[in-house]
Amino acid sequence: MSSPSKRREMDLMKLMMTDYKVETINDGMQEFYVEFHGPKESPYQGGVWRIRVELPDAYPYKSPSIGFVNKIYHPNVDEMSGSVCLDVINQTWSPMFDLVNVFEVFLPQLLLYPNPSDPLNGEAAALMMRDRSAYEQRVKEYCEKYAKPEDAGVAGEEKSSDEELTEDEYASSDDEIAGKVDP
Amino acid sequence: MLPRKRPGEGEAVNEGNSQSVLKKHRISSSTDSKNNQESNSSGTGSLVVGNSNSNSNKSCGEQTITEMAFDDGNPRDIDEDLHSRQLAVYGRETMRRLFASNVLVSGMQGLGVEIAKNLILAGVKSVTLHDEGTVELWDMSSNFVFSEKDLGKNRALASMQKLQELNNAVAISTLTTKLTKEQLSDFQAVVFTDINLESAIEFNEYCHNHQPPIAFIKTEVRGLFGSAFCDFGPEFTVFDVDGEEPHTGIIASISNDNPALVACVDDERLEFQDGDLVVFSEIQGMTQLNDGKPRKIKNARPYSFTLDEDTTKFGTYERGGIVTQVKEPKILNFKPLKEAIKDPGDFLLSDFSKFDRPPLLHLAFQSLDKFVSELGRFPTAGSEEDAQRLISITSDINEGLGDGKLDDINPKLLRHFAFGARAVLNPMAAMFGGIVGQEVVKACSGKFHPLFQFFYFDSLESLPTEPLDPSDLRPLNSRYDAQISVFGSKFQKKLEDAKVFVVGSGALGCEFLKNLALMGVSCGKHGKLTVTDDDVIEKSNLSRQFLFRDWNIGQPKSTVAASAASSINPLLHIEALQNRVGPETENVFNDAFWENLNVVINALDNVNARLYVDQRCLYFQKPLLESGTLGAKCNTQMVIPHLTENYGASRDPPEKQAPMCTVHSFPHNIDHCLTWARSEFEGLLEKTPAEVNAYLSNPSEYTSAMRNAGDAQARDNLERVIECLDRERCESFQDCITWARMKFEDYFANRVKQLTFTFPEDAATSTGAPFWSAPKRFPRPLQFSVTDPSHLHFIMAASILRAETFGVPVPDWVKHPKKLAEAVDKVIVPDFQPKKNVKIVTDEKATSLATASVDDSAVINELIMKLEQCRKTLPPNFRMKPIQFEKDDDTNYHMDLIAALANMRARNYSIPEVDKLKAKFIAGRIIPAIATSTAMATGLVCLELYKVIDGSHKLEDYRNTFANLALPLFSMAEPVPPKVVKHQNMSWTVWDRWIIKGNPTLRELLQWLADKGLNAYSISFGSCLLYNSMFPRHKERMDKKVADLARDVAKVELPPYRDHLDVVVACEDDEDNDVDIPQISVYFR
Repeated sequence: MSSPSKRREMDLMKLMMTDYKVETINDGMQEFYVEFHGPKESPYQGGVWRIRVELPDAYPYKSPSIGFVNKIYHPNVDEMSGSVCLDVINQTWSPMFDLVNVFEVFLPQLLLYPNPSDPLNGEAAALMMRDRSAYEQRVKEYCEKYAKPEDAGVAGEEKSSDEELTEDEYASSDDEIAGKVDP
Repeated sequence: MLPRKRPGEGEAVNEGNSQSVLKKHRISSSTDSKNNQESNSSGTGSLVVGNSNSNSNKSCGEQTITEMAFDDGNPRDIDEDLHSRQLAVYGRETMRRLFASNVLVSGMQGLGVEIAKNLILAGVKSVTLHDEGTVELWDMSSNFVFSEKDLGKNRALASMQKLQELNNAVAISTLTTKLTKEQLSDFQAVVFTDINLESAIEFNEYCHNHQPPIAFIKTEVRGLFGSAFCDFGPEFTVFDVDGEEPHTGIIASISNDNPALVACVDDERLEFQDGDLVVFSEIQGMTQLNDGKPRKIKNARPYSFTLDEDTTKFGTYERGGIVTQVKEPKILNFKPLKEAIKDPGDFLLSDFSKFDRPPLLHLAFQSLDKFVSELGRFPTAGSEEDAQRLISITSDINEGLGDGKLDDINPKLLRHFAFGARAVLNPMAAMFGGIVGQEVVKACSGKFHPLFQFFYFDSLESLPTEPLDPSDLRPLNSRYDAQISVFGSKFQKKLEDAKVFVVGSGALGCEFLKNLALMGVSCGKHGKLTVTDDDVIEKSNLSRQFLFRDWNIGQPKSTVAASAASSINPLLHIEALQNRVGPETENVFNDAFWENLNVVINALDNVNARLYVDQRCLYFQKPLLESGTLGAKCNTQMVIPHLTENYGASRDPPEKQAPMCTVHSFPHNIDHCLTWARSEFEGLLEKTPAEVNAYLSNPSEYTSAMRNAGDAQARDNLERVIECLDRERCESFQDCITWARMKFEDYFANRVKQLTFTFPEDAATSTGAPFWSAPKRFPRPLQFSVTDPSHLHFIMAASILRAETFGVPVPDWVKHPKKLAEAVDKVIVPDFQPKKNVKIVTDEKATSLATASVDDSAVINELIMKLEQCRKTLPPNFRMKPIQFEKDDDTNYHMDLIAALANMRARNYSIPEVDKLKAKFIAGRIIPAIATSTAMATGLVCLELYKVIDGSHKLEDYRNTFANLALPLFSMAEPVPPKVVKHQNMSWTVWDRWIIKGNPTLRELLQWLADKGLNAYSISFGSCLLYNSMFPRHKERMDKKVADLARDVAKVELPPYRDHLDVVVACEDDEDNDVDIPQISVYFR
């Protein structure tokens, strides 16, 4: 494992390499937004959320803090603040996990398998326990109302194709070298 | 609890890191000056503890609610403000036993005075100082109460006054003539620091056979060697063998079997061990186990254990149940010294690399005793003749041992032992003073496991690496003669000229300053000691921060400590600063400051500051001596440039916090209730009033900010403000009582009714499992009653604090239960009907937030309109007064409210309630602290300081220590070397830094790395990205100077004296493996 100082960099990099849209604020690495799509085969499919990620000073020793910015109807997500009461993030985090795990595994798992017995949103939990189909209907309503792609609005550090970059770079550096070597 | 690497640092704070670093901002700028220091320093100069102050500051008339609710039937004999940190370690019972103990300390050289100091701070009933000798120059190396004008006076008499200043509640007396054994019967414990073996055996025999036995301790420090021996009598009962809270578990199932298998919820790992005794409670179904009978467990696993009991005929387990460890008293049969010296049993080992040392030192100390009794003097430093004599005495004794004879008596070690034998060194005295002080506390209280029975220690590695010239060891008629006799006068000069930075001036800092002053560190012409601390002295500091007196309360710690250290040694060159060390003070602690230092000593109480100093030391390549304590535990870590890893290289996992859902709706222990109580306290009394003020000071800005945010959070803020200014505005004290009564109903009745309506007792999850299963506990609403003192106590504390936020005067009658009850009875409480489809957790405004489909922004607009209307009805310049939680003021009702909130909630969930003191420890996150472990830690660090100042020691000479005086346990080990990274033909560690000069552009920096076979994909400065290969817009930065990028992107000022900046680069080699490269210093001037 690399030194903690570089973990933010590496984790952010890996997240973008895995094709997540990431939006930083003034190039800061403490706090940024990531676009997250509801997993297939779940009532959340089609929903797009803007996820606020905060890396504490003690990251990766301390877990990142994760919050839904646009609304989601889910037993383990606080409807008002968007905070997630997700066991694996808050309780069993280990420095071996990284942000890709959070977005590839932990969040999809949370949406696929809500845990109504430890609810943060009691109404959602109660509804899920009593009337599964009404609950799923409600989830979909919320997705349509609050979780359209434009609601997520992650600007993203648009990735241009690799060739383009390389070409650009080579072009300019070639010029420079040419200029110097061949006066 | 497992030993933690760094005790004392773990102030687990939910609110982020600012709180844990600073104590200061909790000292509120509050206007209630009645609690301020001015009134405390009323000039009496006396500090009352012990049995004399019960209720002294309370009117003795009618009983008040405070006493009514929390009176545990015992007299209020402990000054909890003074002793809170120590109470957190010992508990009330141990403290009471201490308060009744009379102790004799014989031999008032360096070690004696350290032991006496620790006992007086702890607050025993009396300490009697015994010494027949007079103060010599030789004593000045280790005794911090002596000054040059004491030379020639009796040591006990010369010590008395300064020791008395430490704690006026302890009676201190002196004995200056030869002791008779009969005199020992006046004491519960006697300590001898300078006694010959023959008299020791005689005294010990008397103590051992006395009825009741008198605890006997013999200890001495000779140069870099030390010994301790305990005999607490033929049958000594230890009430608490480790000082840990009993472990508990929440039961998930119990089998009807023989033996029965008990499974617990996988919420937290169990910490039981095979053979532990446990009791059960609250079990439904198999109720036979609730009989309170202790039962032995086997096969302890993380989430289960078996019970040595046939449960086949018991009822079938249904649900619930808590299992709690029962701590058993332990009986120890001590041997008297006469027997133990021949048959010492197992020695307490401190260092596995020296496992063969204790038996040798056992011999060596006997030989030294023989040497002294034969010659009437100690061996002379540097005298080969004396050394040979000691070696031959040892050899003789060894030959007489028969089977127990040692193969090698290590003459080289004995030679060093002989040379230093006369000297009492301050670090050794500090270390043994802590250890032995703790043993006396154990003897007096039965708390913690005593040393059984011998402990030997040496720190021979502290000697300079170069052999010492005997002529260099000769006394110079200076106060350092004792230290010179061990280390030589050349080394003494090095100590005196050292430039040292002590970071922090609290408990560790006070001890360090004393030690450094006595050692003569920074006392020479070129020496300089800088100490900094931004905190001021509080009463709770006085029980261990021994350079402070009660008349110093409110003064800056660093200045007071520095002047006290100067009076210990007037030659000390010390500067006291009041700056916090951190990024914001890099103008004070600038490059020149750091570059000039020889060594940095941390005396901090939080991790963040430690990590910062670690980074600075790493950067400037300075040795860092790190230590910390937690109750009876302590640890030390040496960070030596290029030899060891740095402090931040390894960490404890952060403390686990309870999940939000648990704290909000499903608490199952008192910690959860207290966490909730503190967050409610902050919401009600600090955040909401601050929010109100934010609105009132600039209504248009505030409302437009809320409109822009337009989210649920903004809506919630507005609702709170409006509630405070409209519906629940308090203009009279009766309003405050109404508010408090309504809060009671809301918190402890309505919310519970709502929760159990949403999740009835028989609710089941989708899988059919009961919703209310362990660890969740089913809550029941409280029925308010004025006859319940704790209900009334809640109303009193809540209404008083509410009144404070509104500036409403508090009438005196509020403290009289009858009158308060009458006032509460006037409040009309509406009936509550649970509502369908409401949320549980953020149920502050359950009703209004219920229909989530309503558009937030529409609601926000409506709320703002309402708010503007409401503002017009307020008196001009109306503001609220936010209250910041302050745990250490017993008269401010803060802890009263938090304890009341937590306990009422505990009652909802049938969780055992706690008293205000326990509540304060948990909610105030009070770190338990005692003088003994602190003293020991600083002694250990100063033994390492000798090595650092010498400067040529190898890694294997250094020691890191973890110790727990409660067990007692010492675990010393070589520090871990830094990780070496290799790439191509280069290698480096965390101590290396790469330098690139010539004000490069980003492109040039990348090329420079590429030339080393490194492909950088990310470059950052602080927490700001200067470059990331995935961000196309960063390509535009290629031809900018790195320094300019730092200015533009990270918005950093690069002052004229700065010629470089340091960037962190993440890169890969050509095979795409990450390579952890050093920080890069980019020079731009």
